[in-house]
Amino acid sequence: MRRFRREGDVITTTMDADEVELLDSLAGQLVSMLSDDDEGDDGGDDDPFSFWARDLADDPDEPEVPDDPAVARLFPNAYPHDPQAASEFRRFTQVDLAQAKIDSAVVVQRGLAATENGRLPVRITDTEVTAWLKFFTNVRLVFAARLGIDDVESAERIAALPQNDPRSFMVSVYEWLGFAQETLVGAL
Amino acid sequence: MGIMSISASTLPGAPGADPGPPAPGAGTAVAERPAEESLAQTPWVTIVWDDPVNLMSYVTHVFRTYFNYPKEKAEKLMLAVHQEGKAIVSSGGREQMERDVVAMHDYGLWATLDRADS
Repeated sequence: MRRFRREGDVITTTMDADEVELLDSLAGQLVSMLSDDDEGDDGGDDDPFSFWARDLADDPDEPEVPDDPAVARLFPNAYPHDPQAASEFRRFTQVDLAQAKIDSAVVVQRGLAATENGRLPVRITDTEVTAWLKFFTNVRLVFAARLGIDDVESAERIAALPQNDPRSFMVSVYEWLGFAQETLVGAL
Repeated sequence: MGIMSISASTLPGAPGADPGPPAPGAGTAVAERPAEESLAQTPWVTIVWDDPVNLMSYVTHVFRTYFNYPKEKAEKLMLAVHQEGKAIVSSGGREQMERDVVAMHDYGLWATLDRADS
């Protein structure tokens, strides 16, 4: 893709079919991760998203710190020194916050669908741009958690992985997402 | 499942990235509070912590957009987060600070709230 740039009332770029498919897939996975439903087509212990359902469904009145580091990073502990306040904060905010993150991903999916597999440019209006920025952030946070990026040192280590490392494709997507977000902020 | 999975099982060997409780220590940059609020009425603060993921330009954008801070103040706070590890980005009553923390989490920033005197 090229960098995002402003054209009058919209921010636009072009993405090829593979990029559209990848981004749409990531948005769909984020929605699945954040949706507490069991209607997925695979389900079972192998269901990669079941951790989220577990975290929310075990005891909705006593939300614990999520086991999955990606989910934990999407929903940080607001009261690190006060477990009870932290639990109450989660109880009162987590569902709405998850829905907001889902809504952002859906805005992005709609924008990607409008490109007809990359044949048309991506066009982001001023009312949609915040959703795109938040979406890029959420996906990058999940990638960082999966890659074990939690400080400057680990970020540098991951950036320097050899090409034959099994994580290198994920790293390249993570960097692509960073490029996309950086140029989107620049085009505001 | 799609062409690339970001599920928890993707990289079983990858170390976790639980931010964990923030470590005490590093200096905290303090944002100027609105003049009309006295310390007694503003016993809570919103703290944003540094992370290696969020872009500096994006963090500045969030501070400008959500708090309506002027560019210079937003950049100063962003740099404080980046260089000192954390910064107090707002202060006020507990409910307002909880709203600010939720907003920061909505933007994907790592934020906590605490008593101003702790």
